[in-house]
Amino acid sequence: MATPDIETSATAASTRAGTGTTFTRFVGLATIVGMIALGVFGLLLSPADVQQSDSVRILYIHVGTVWIAYVAFAVTALSSAAYLWKRTTSLTWDRLAGASAEIGVLFMALTLLAGSLWGRLSWGKFWVWDARVTSTAFMFVTYVGYLAVRGLGGSHQQRARRSAVVALLAVLEIPLVHFSVKLWRGLHQDSSVADRTHVNLHGLMLFSLFISLIAFTLLYVWLLMHRQRVLAMQDAIDNTGLDYALQQRRDEGDL
Amino acid sequence: MEDLGFILATYIVTFGSVAAFALAIVRRGRRLAAQLPAKDKPWT
Repeated sequence: MATPDIETSATAASTRAGTGTTFTRFVGLATIVGMIALGVFGLLLSPADVQQSDSVRILYIHVGTVWIAYVAFAVTALSSAAYLWKRTTSLTWDRLAGASAEIGVLFMALTLLAGSLWGRLSWGKFWVWDARVTSTAFMFVTYVGYLAVRGLGGSHQQRARRSAVVALLAVLEIPLVHFSVKLWRGLHQDSSVADRTHVNLHGLMLFSLFISLIAFTLLYVWLLMHRQRVLAMQDAIDNTGLDYALQQRRDEGDL
Repeated sequence: MEDLGFILATYIVTFGSVAAFALAIVRRGRRLAAQLPAKDKPWT
């Protein structure tokens, strides 16, 4: 008599769990702690910059978000290459690519927003057609297009193949965006943290930026694990629906 | 603190957007998990 109760409670626990595991909860908790630390150091403890005054506090967000956007798009490209590799055509790689691209698009949008607010304080304008700003906006639009390509019809394998090709082309924009400040001298400042000869940030400012990078990286890992699992379940439900439709057709044929 | 409005707007919009995205993923995950057997959820 006890067995069904155990099964029922196990099913209920599985349903409640959704996409979470002990590891994701640990990463999630570490992310919350990191974000609180970022808020405290970025807004309160870090000193104002000699040249940029308090607007430097925006950079702790701006640099962290663009770092995650770069990482996310690089992961999308690597996962897409892994999918296209003959021996590893697993849809897990495709879902990893798609999940990472979604996160990258969100963080790229936040990068543009934070950059726009920082630009208003530093340059007096929310938007300038500077090489870095323009190329970043172009990359954002490219990855929105990538997500649109993923949403086109067809089988999961068709979706994976065509979006993998787009991802491998789109990733070429990352070095273009990163080196745009050196290729085309514009308004956007060069490296904020360090260049080849010396470190530009020190003390609490450098530490605050370090916390930002750690906190946003943890957040990325947490989001990626959950989003990838949601995509896996969505694909499984799609397959179940397809199986059901095929069974209906077979039943119709038998009649 | 100078330019407090711009600085706070950056932090609030960033944290708010990320929290909303995370919440949407978790809720969707729970909704889908309820429709699938355990074999389709190898992480559970």
